[in-house]
Amino acid sequence: MIHLSNVSRHFRRGPDVIKALDRVTLEIQAGRFVALMGPSGSGKSTLLNILSGIDRADEGEVEVAGQRLTGLSEDELAVWRARHVGLVFQFYNLMPVLSACENVELPLLLTDLSRPERRRRAELALEVVGLMRERFEHLPGALSGGEQQRVAIARAIVTDPDLIVADEPTGDLDARSADQVLALLSELNREFEKTIVLVTHDPRALRWVQAIYHLDKGSLLEGVEATRATQAVEQTLGVPPRSAAR
Amino acid sequence: MSRAIPLSYTLRSVFQRRTRTALTVAVMALVVLAVTVMLSLVSGIRRTLVETGEADNLIVMRKGATNDGSSMVPIEAYRAVRYFPGIAADPVTGEPLVSPEMVVQPFFYRQDGGRENVLVRGVRPVAFAVHRKVRLVEGRAPRSSSGEAVVGRAVAARYPGLRIGAEMRFGRRAWKVVGILEAGGSSFESEVWVDVNDLWSDANRALYSGLRLTVAADADAAALARRVAADARWALEAKPEIEYYREQADSANFLFSLTVALGVIMGIGASFGAMNTMFAAVRSRVAEIGTLRALGFSRRSILASFLAEALVIALAGCVVGVVLAVGATLAINAALLGVAINLMTFTTATVQLRVSAGNALFALCFSVLLGFAGGFLPASRAARLSPAEALRRRA
Amino acid sequence: MGYLTLVRRNLRRNRLRTALTAASITLSIFLVCAVLSLPSGFTAIHDRLAAGTRFLVHNKAGITYLMPYGSLQQIRAVPGGTAATSFSRFGGVYDEPKNLFPNFSVDAETVGDIWPDFQISPQAIADFRRYRDAALVGYQTMRTFHWKVGDRVTLRSTVWPVQLDFRIVGELPEPHGNPMWFLFSRTYLEEAVRAKGLSAEQAGMIWVRVADPADVPPVMRRIDDLFRNSDAETASETEKSFFESFMSSLSGLTNVILAVGFLVVVAVVFITANTCSMAIRERAAEIAMLKALGFRRSVILGLLLAETLALAIGGGAVGAFGAYGVLKLLAALGATGARPGLGPLSMFLVTPWHVVEGIGLSLLVGVVAGVFPSWGAARKPVAEALREVF
Repeated sequence: MIHLSNVSRHFRRGPDVIKALDRVTLEIQAGRFVALMGPSGSGKSTLLNILSGIDRADEGEVEVAGQRLTGLSEDELAVWRARHVGLVFQFYNLMPVLSACENVELPLLLTDLSRPERRRRAELALEVVGLMRERFEHLPGALSGGEQQRVAIARAIVTDPDLIVADEPTGDLDARSADQVLALLSELNREFEKTIVLVTHDPRALRWVQAIYHLDKGSLLEGVEATRATQAVEQTLGVPPRSAAR
Repeated sequence: MSRAIPLSYTLRSVFQRRTRTALTVAVMALVVLAVTVMLSLVSGIRRTLVETGEADNLIVMRKGATNDGSSMVPIEAYRAVRYFPGIAADPVTGEPLVSPEMVVQPFFYRQDGGRENVLVRGVRPVAFAVHRKVRLVEGRAPRSSSGEAVVGRAVAARYPGLRIGAEMRFGRRAWKVVGILEAGGSSFESEVWVDVNDLWSDANRALYSGLRLTVAADADAAALARRVAADARWALEAKPEIEYYREQADSANFLFSLTVALGVIMGIGASFGAMNTMFAAVRSRVAEIGTLRALGFSRRSILASFLAEALVIALAGCVVGVVLAVGATLAINAALLGVAINLMTFTTATVQLRVSAGNALFALCFSVLLGFAGGFLPASRAARLSPAEALRRRA
Repeated sequence: MGYLTLVRRNLRRNRLRTALTAASITLSIFLVCAVLSLPSGFTAIHDRLAAGTRFLVHNKAGITYLMPYGSLQQIRAVPGGTAATSFSRFGGVYDEPKNLFPNFSVDAETVGDIWPDFQISPQAIADFRRYRDAALVGYQTMRTFHWKVGDRVTLRSTVWPVQLDFRIVGELPEPHGNPMWFLFSRTYLEEAVRAKGLSAEQAGMIWVRVADPADVPPVMRRIDDLFRNSDAETASETEKSFFESFMSSLSGLTNVILAVGFLVVVAVVFITANTCSMAIRERAAEIAMLKALGFRRSVILGLLLAETLALAIGGGAVGAFGAYGVLKLLAALGATGARPGLGPLSMFLVTPWHVVEGIGLSLLVGVVAGVFPSWGAARKPVAEALREVF
């Protein structure tokens, strides 16, 4: 599903060049539910952006869902994203002027579907994420954080993408809502066989994901270091993880 | 006891959103520019005409005539008026200072092919003594029955070929330019002066359009005017030159009303634009307002601070606008010697534009008004925010 | 839900700002429409009045150079002409000097032939010939002074030392007649002037009528040839060209007014661009998210531009139609003569074409104001946009 080899990404900050990613090689099989973890500035969001086609690598090869992303133009990437990737953000990023259902419908504007069909699929997606029907016509401002993130997840799955990427989806939620959102993502992974990549600080995610990749200073941790990092997360959680990492 | 928010804080806020501030200043500046240029034209017309008159001169015309282009005064009337008491005498010749004049409006053809009427004044040598502002900057006065012409500075500027020695055609013959006249920017500079005998034969009629006379220093101008009007044979009337030209300047009144209407409508539009900017400024600084209020600044000082911001923007616009207006008027004057307008005589006169202190003051008051109009509602919204609410709405 | 839903909802998001911006566009387009209609109002009036088979002859030297009255007889003899009349300014004022309006002496028997298009009633034409003190008066002037047919009025000339009593025998009727003119017989003037020991045996202008529009140029040429190298050379021209040269002498003023109109448009472009860029800045996160979802740059640009264009055209249409309505109303008020104080304000003449121009102009305003901020927002790479907002 996801093949990254020797991917680097640099940013220029004033006179300095910062290596956000330094020759990262990563392979994620289709149907996996994995987490990217690491301290701030470790490059995990940059990695997520590159494998979802939002950002482009300066060096290395990126191939996702059978498409070589290196060399695609900004617009070609946009078309590819619309078809193959569903995105979930920390702050939901719903359009405040559109109702819950309309927000979910938004990415379907990029398809050839008819207006009633778009509507039908949007409602279906909202049912999948478990939003109560009477909330469908509410504006985002009238929904709780958990509900808004459900709407955002519905928006991510409504185009039936191969890959769902989520950047800190529980970062702004209370514990209960965060658990529900993780459970929902896990369900999407199991029942609809979506490949899901999660960037998170939230140790609770360990209970749901099948693997954790640790990043530090732009590099993937491997071997002993990776195991130690996972154990450190497990300790903060204080509860044995539901599924084993790696 | 409320503390005022320092002006430096306001100024820094103005510069924080550069694009937004710059666009708003530009809008204000354009409005001020438009209004100021129009006003400089209005006051230019008034000045050009009013300065044409001499304080102690009277103009004699057919009763009811609004300008000497549409009046007729028979030669006999001139001969009679000339010896009325109370008229000043020429210090050199001792002759009465009465200038009989005939005006016609022949076609002049511009280089661009357009046609306009230029006021041609047939005069006798005494005219140069009666019109004391008129000076020959080059050359000399036309001699009698010589086909010679003196060209006003503004006419010479509009028709580049008109230099001393050049031949010009108007009316039914050719004329030779022998002088260039200047008259302090007044409408005489937009005229061509020739000998009246020449003009009579060219226009094929021997009568005057009007008389100009200088009242003796110790004489009663009103009594002299009554004396002129009293003679029923000629149906004449006399009025002070100043008053006559002030009436001519009434044609600028419409332009002034137009400018005011334009200024009001443009001003409302511009203050709406400023209001948008100020509402956005308030919105983006809700947290700051909350903090300031929490620190103990009063509603009034918040209001004053935002109003000051609007006024700073308006004043900047005013300064830029007036500077642009001065530049524009100087450029127009340099290129064209002013704006060619049509007088009541249907002749073309060149009006010099000058942004006067009065125009600049008007622009200043106008901008302050715009600043208040645009700033008051947003500023009072900012002042009404309670500190708790302001801090809460931060997110 | 479609793209339009998004545009519409976004416009309604900050109603106050949308309203203020639209209002300033409305006011500017109103102004520009009014300003544009001023010069074309004059032209339109004259296009309407100009008849294809009529032209005028004046002294080649200028309008205030007169022609001998005898020229009229010579012009009447020119082949191709069907009627001709002298037309001389009387400069008469009614009551007080400010009541100045155009009044002319004419050859009474020719009025019906020269101006058939005025549609003067046959009775009025007959009476005009019959009574030596008869006058025909434009409908506008009748209303201004509250005159009616049968009234006796006195005008004092500012040209001649005379004052004449007239009886109004008819009007130059709406809508085809000249609204302002006051016409009377030159023989009546001649009598009065002669009593003062003067002579009015001159003509200011001469109107000539021909049978067919195609005859106009050859007859004009024949007349000018006839008087070439005489004491009073003539220049014949059509009403339209006469008026156009009058308008060209006003060009200084109209240029200033047009320049101001241009400034108004630039100002409103700035106001609109400001609104557009404020809206875009506030929505940076949403725009970044739309990009991330896979909306291409052209779609984002289209959405943002559509919003500004809708605002501009909405505001502009109100302004253009408003100008049309208000100026039509002013013209109607001016035409009734009930409000003589309106003066030149009733001279604006807006046509539906001005409304089209106004809306076209607001479209331009929207494009120019919207394209820079929108293109900047649309062009920004999605990763950069996301980094800036999160």
